[in-house]
Amino acid sequence: MKISRREWVLAATCWAEVLRAQNSHSNQLVWFNPADAAEIQAIAAQIIPDDDTPGAGTAGVIWFIDRSLAGYDQDKQELYKRGLAETQAKRAELFPGSTSIAGLSNEQQTALLKAIEKTEFFQQMRLHTILGFFGQPVGLKLLGVQHEMHYEPPFGYYDAEVARGGSK
Amino acid sequence: MSMAQFRPADAVDFIVVGIGAAGGVMAKELATAGFRVVALEQGPWRHEKDFKHDEVAVMFRAGLTNNPKKQLNTFRKTPSDPAQQQQAVEYGCMVGGGSVHFTTNYWRFHPEDFRERSVLGPVPGADLRDWPITYDDLEPYYTQAEWDLGISGLGGSNPFDGPRSKPYPLPPMPVKSSGVLFERGAKKLGLHPFPAPLAIISEQYHGRPACVHCGYCEAFGCEVGAKSSTLAALIPAAVKTGRCEVRPNSYVRKIEVGKDGRVTGVIYFDAGGREVFQRAKAVVVCANGAETPRLLLMSKSNAFPEGLGNSHGNVGKYLMFDSGGFAFGLFEHPLNEYKSVVVTRVLHDYYRSDPKRGFYGGGGIDGRFDYYPAGFALAGMPLDGPQWGSEWKREIGQYYTHMSGSLGHASCLAVEQNSISLDDKVKDAWGLPAMRVTFKNHPDDLKAADFLMERQKEILLAAGAKKVWADPTTLGEITYSRHLMGSCRMGDDPKTSVVNKWNRVHAVPNLFLVDGSSLVTSARQQPTATIQALAYRSADYIKRGASL
Repeated sequence: MKISRREWVLAATCWAEVLRAQNSHSNQLVWFNPADAAEIQAIAAQIIPDDDTPGAGTAGVIWFIDRSLAGYDQDKQELYKRGLAETQAKRAELFPGSTSIAGLSNEQQTALLKAIEKTEFFQQMRLHTILGFFGQPVGLKLLGVQHEMHYEPPFGYYDAEVARGGSK
Repeated sequence: MSMAQFRPADAVDFIVVGIGAAGGVMAKELATAGFRVVALEQGPWRHEKDFKHDEVAVMFRAGLTNNPKKQLNTFRKTPSDPAQQQQAVEYGCMVGGGSVHFTTNYWRFHPEDFRERSVLGPVPGADLRDWPITYDDLEPYYTQAEWDLGISGLGGSNPFDGPRSKPYPLPPMPVKSSGVLFERGAKKLGLHPFPAPLAIISEQYHGRPACVHCGYCEAFGCEVGAKSSTLAALIPAAVKTGRCEVRPNSYVRKIEVGKDGRVTGVIYFDAGGREVFQRAKAVVVCANGAETPRLLLMSKSNAFPEGLGNSHGNVGKYLMFDSGGFAFGLFEHPLNEYKSVVVTRVLHDYYRSDPKRGFYGGGGIDGRFDYYPAGFALAGMPLDGPQWGSEWKREIGQYYTHMSGSLGHASCLAVEQNSISLDDKVKDAWGLPAMRVTFKNHPDDLKAADFLMERQKEILLAAGAKKVWADPTTLGEITYSRHLMGSCRMGDDPKTSVVNKWNRVHAVPNLFLVDGSSLVTSARQQPTATIQALAYRSADYIKRGASL
């Protein structure tokens, strides 16, 4: 195949929606106050933990959520306000004496989120966290995707097998 | 030659409302035949350079589709339910319409699809009818569409297809691992898989470059112009005639009718929100199976107090949706399905309705695994496992490249109460009545989809999958569709249909409806080839001197 044409569209244009949020933050939150941002960040880091591979914290998902709530998802602001307040109430109920979600132990955070995982707020946070993470190269890498603008066959094991004249 | 510019007060020969899969065909055919055409498109005019691999923008922020936050619609299952604000239809919203972002399955309907009522008899609870045309009437226009647009495929490889007058212009796309496994499983079961006919060019064609297998076909615009959208394949030729003006960002609110009941032009909001009345000698509405009936219903006049062409109350009725579920399989070795086109093998063994099954319908099945990364993380993992946290994160990395799957494309029956109507409370961002969608599957639709799902799982197991499962969210009653069919259906009898066999509105000689709305049956989904063949046929009728 001749494709010297336009290797043009570089990866830089590929994840604009997420990277615009992540790269332009200069540590200025647009919608969250810093205290709430820390709580939301702690929840996001439970959904996609930073363990042996990068997670929501390393990927800066909080900036994507912040910009989304100030922009396309303005209609989700009330859900976040209400959902975070209810999650704080649940925290106080499950862990009397605690003062923040971010201050809970890893096991406590997991238990708290398991208690609210059916709520609309958690589902929205899961959506935002996933978009902010899998909408950029770090997420593709986790899935084993070697992102390029152009591939040639064979693409996978089984079509390669047929191309070699193997099993049909 | 620069694009034509017409003044609104000049009555052009044709206005095309919605320049998508069908509108692109009409604009190109009419302009190249010498007619002066204004094409009004509610979405923007994007080009190859504007498309990108941005899943969040495209898939989750209505990047290329109708924006549910501006174009509100309401949904109810039956007329006795209250209509709730909820997105129920999705369509391509740009110059080129759905042909820009579709997956590109491009199979023809079968000869028996056009006369199922005669063959099978009536179906209780539905209004199954024969088409007023046959497969043979449409065959030359399927061929014209395939050669004009550029379709890759292998003619004669599907033993259930009707006769073809010409092969496909381009060879099939290279088979992917999903296609190899689909073929392996299907052949073990004695079935007849064939190379998918796709609206993607496998080799250079008409000056357009071949596919580069980048993997972003479904829901995305093609960055090299290898997808045979009307945007890439036809609209440039229409514009080049100097007789076709494309006006993007133009939201049509009414088709105007004179005292004699003939169409005189359309009123639309331009990009700046100003109202414009464009005059025309004739109008072709290609706004899709949901927006076309809505526009007719909004176009009330003294001659048509219930909406244009709606003297017998048929506009909006018999809406049909896409139907069928996803099955998934986990395999030992990597498939890397994120590369190249979505589908490379299809089978039609279960397409025909078989009375022995005890329900109407059947379907086509294709081999595919079409999740993009974020969509997969959201909903792609088996629901019996974790959906967030460290264990989920580990598993998801092991599954994504090792999965295949298949999609069932099941029949959907025409039911009178399934419809598009105008909501009496909710308005869109232009202050117009929101679209109200009423839809509840006929029980046979669900039986056909469930039947196909069992066959899909058998094929994956026969192919050697370690684990096979169905996506339960894609089975059961549908409340959302991207295939919008049948709301202004075609027929010989003006009392039971909206357009005649040439896609002309019965009562209005200078008004044509050319899109999914005229489909009499849903066949087995994947309607784009048929919608475009109907457009070529209707355009040919006009070009041959139909008196308007």
